Amino acid sequence: MVSEVALFELGVLFAAVALVGGIANYLRQSVIPFYIGAGILLGPYVVGRLTPYALEATEFVELGAELGIVFLLFFLGLEFNLNRLLANRSRIGKAGTVDLVVNFGGGLILGFVLFRAILPAFLVAGIVYISSSAIITKSLIDLGWIANDEAEPMLGTLVYEDLVIAVYLVVASALLLGGGDIGAAVQSIGLALGVILLLLIVVWFGTPFFERVLDADSHEFIVLRAVGITVLTAGAALALGVSEAVAAFFIGMAFSSTEHVEQLERLLEPIRDLFAAIFFVWIGLVTDPLVFAGVLTLILIAVVLTVPTKLISGYFGGRIYNLNIRQSTRVGLGMTTRGEFSLIIATLALSGAGTTLTEPVAQTIYAFAVGYVLVMSIVGTMLMQYSTPIEAAVVSRLSGFFSDSSAKTD
Amino acid sequence: MTVYESDLPGVGKKFEIEIDDEQRLVIVTHNTGKREVFLKASEGADSEKLFELPDRLARTVGTILEGAYFQPVQSEQVETMLAEGTFLEWYNVDDGAEIAGQTLADARVRERTGVSVAAIERAGSVVPSPQADTVIEVGDTLVVIGSQEDLQEFDALVSNDAANSE
Repeated sequence: MVSEVALFELGVLFAAVALVGGIANYLRQSVIPFYIGAGILLGPYVVGRLTPYALEATEFVELGAELGIVFLLFFLGLEFNLNRLLANRSRIGKAGTVDLVVNFGGGLILGFVLFRAILPAFLVAGIVYISSSAIITKSLIDLGWIANDEAEPMLGTLVYEDLVIAVYLVVASALLLGGGDIGAAVQSIGLALGVILLLLIVVWFGTPFFERVLDADSHEFIVLRAVGITVLTAGAALALGVSEAVAAFFIGMAFSSTEHVEQLERLLEPIRDLFAAIFFVWIGLVTDPLVFAGVLTLILIAVVLTVPTKLISGYFGGRIYNLNIRQSTRVGLGMTTRGEFSLIIATLALSGAGTTLTEPVAQTIYAFAVGYVLVMSIVGTMLMQYSTPIEAAVVSRLSGFFSDSSAKTD
Repeated sequence: MTVYESDLPGVGKKFEIEIDDEQRLVIVTHNTGKREVFLKASEGADSEKLFELPDRLARTVGTILEGAYFQPVQSEQVETMLAEGTFLEWYNVDDGAEIAGQTLADARVRERTGVSVAAIERAGSVVPSPQADTVIEVGDTLVVIGSQEDLQEFDALVSNDAANSE
């Protein structure tokens, strides 16, 4: 058995998560920065420096965090509906491409200027490109924007981003885990693509099988079977050197075409939330707040540059959907929040430390990503809550340039 | 009257219903089953949330709106559904009603409509389980049990035909 305080420490961790979650909810803020903050405070770098007691990132917490990543991506696949994307492809495609070019392109330039190398630039681009589906969707519902016209371009763009990030994670993990030279990278990308192809075949031909397997009459068996298939596949992928997150995404996609999709969403949501919370706390536990001092300038530059990039791409995304200036501004404000996926990319960066990335570069990217998400999750939520004065300012500025009727005719 | 339907990925579905030239009713059906109902003053305006309902209640409200939840009597008698599809209802016998002045046997209520007369309220007192020779009088209130279709047929027997068109 584990040491007699291990269970107590885990209890402290869960209780802390529950407590800060409640505080975040009361302050009408996103829970993600609060979970990370709780991890930082209770971890070895704050409480641990002041007292002999601190929570450690034990093997259980680390595995729990891994499961958090798996379930976050599994849900992305589960809610990802290719038919829906194809039905709206022209508008989602245009708005999503604008979003990709402006933000990923901006991130590449920013990353290259800061690190002078391709791979770190590629990682920074991913971190600043991907908006937070979880926070944005929740804010949309909380603020009642969900019934407005601006919800469609926002949710549509998020779907496009989710698809991009699935492909991105394949490439990024192959580049990072593939060792130093080009040959090895090509080989690992080849392997990754092979596994992805295998998973796609599973998705394509496995639906009747999944349909039967998940057709149990008790919740217990449905949950156990779904979790069994998902974690087994993700683990096997990781053992082969392919991103477990991507494997989980494809399994989610395979399940999404079965009859059980809504039941699975309902039953597995608490499991996802539990492990996602452990993931965010774990991020905090392994983050020394002192490293933020070193990357403060980086974070500041990134925030100053990447709030406007999302505002601009979101604004044009809204215009593509024929929305007026005020609504398009809202789309931009809503898309600025970054969150869970930026953190997943950050943990990926750590996996390349010492091989494809030098140790300090990996640590810098990681610390930058955590600090950046802490800032952007709060800034993005605030921008949505206090959107009214900003909208008014933008409308009065822009009305001189375009008349609102032009949006209706294009 | 157009209904616009759109998908909200990861959330559910949205329906916009034009209720007049300007206003629109917006209903968001969440994947969780929750329904949120909003009102929009005009097409481009912000939605104002009116209320939300859990899945089951939303269905009940829906059947009421549809007119399938037949409850035409005074509001103090709302809980008159005995079982799924069987209702207990009160009907006033109008002046000029077809069965006014007949005995229950002559009126052949059950054969003709399928409803059973459980009691008759007359001048402030109740005649429970009325016999076949009980005469139905103008001004009586008949307490009857039957299915929705049967009750609609029965309604024609106790109301004044001339007033039916109202």
